[in-house]
Amino acid sequence: MTSRTVLLVDDSRVARMMTRSVVEKSCPDWTILEAATGEEALEYVAASVPDFILMDVNMPGMGGLETARLLSERFPAIALSLLTANIQDSVREEAGRLGIGYISKPLKDEELIRFLTGGNGAS
Amino acid sequence: MTELIGALERDAVEEILNIAIGQAAASLSRMVRDHVALSVPFVEFLSPAVAAERLDGTTGGADSVAVRQHFSSSFSGDILLIFPERRSLDLVRSMLGDSVPMDSLTELEQEALLEVGNVILNACLGSLANQLGLTIQSSLPIYLRGRGARILDTKHPDTELVMFLQVDFSLATKGVQGYLAFVMDIVSARHFAEAVSAYVARVIGG
Repeated sequence: MTSRTVLLVDDSRVARMMTRSVVEKSCPDWTILEAATGEEALEYVAASVPDFILMDVNMPGMGGLETARLLSERFPAIALSLLTANIQDSVREEAGRLGIGYISKPLKDEELIRFLTGGNGAS
Repeated sequence: MTELIGALERDAVEEILNIAIGQAAASLSRMVRDHVALSVPFVEFLSPAVAAERLDGTTGGADSVAVRQHFSSSFSGDILLIFPERRSLDLVRSMLGDSVPMDSLTELEQEALLEVGNVILNACLGSLANQLGLTIQSSLPIYLRGRGARILDTKHPDTELVMFLQVDFSLATKGVQGYLAFVMDIVSARHFAEAVSAYVARVIGG
């Protein structure tokens, strides 16, 4: 697999650790970046555009849905998926409207690998 | 409880919450990579004081740790995941497995419990929202530690009810027990009952 860059956006350090561990196992040569807020993610992406972004929804400040909306408008080439504990149909539907992926927590390794290898989140 | 909703709605509440908690248990099972045995005895509406006593009874009067999240929809309140403090580190160890050294576990305990709470409470709220056909907004989870009254921390003890659920999150090898509680005031409890009534009418009508 070609080396790529993944940005993990989650206010929980533990959640980022768990996601990082799956990415490291399945894509050992990839670069993994972390942001704890939507605002921080926007700054990272403005400086250097990653190939993939995994975005929590419930975060302090801007929140994941608004951040994802801005990122998908400005950087449509990034493969972006929500990675959230919020399993409500309304959130899943919003991801569909934004044209981004949706992966629910707790993370299933195979779902994340499918996203990273195919560029699409689980529907 | 009977003053708020009828027998049919009570059955519906228990079924809706059973499904929601089942979803939460499935999430917990995936996080700790272990079978989670669950029981939902029944839903009780209690005064905050009685609920706090009930909670202290389950922990032998020791401190509990809890993750609390405020939610709002046509009804609003707080949802809490509570478990005895002495077993909380076992839960964290089950969740993080060997990926984190032992000496880092204690440092990460609070954050790990917040993430457990985030996943479980949102699984429960999400399932509730999906079944009732509502959107539920929720705040960021917060971590609490203390006796029952501090954990429940009701703002208006004279008017609030605690919709109390005791759920045994028994992990096959760890024996960790957890409890789930909803805290709603009377007005919200009535709105919740109305949402459940609408659900019952829809299910029976459909």
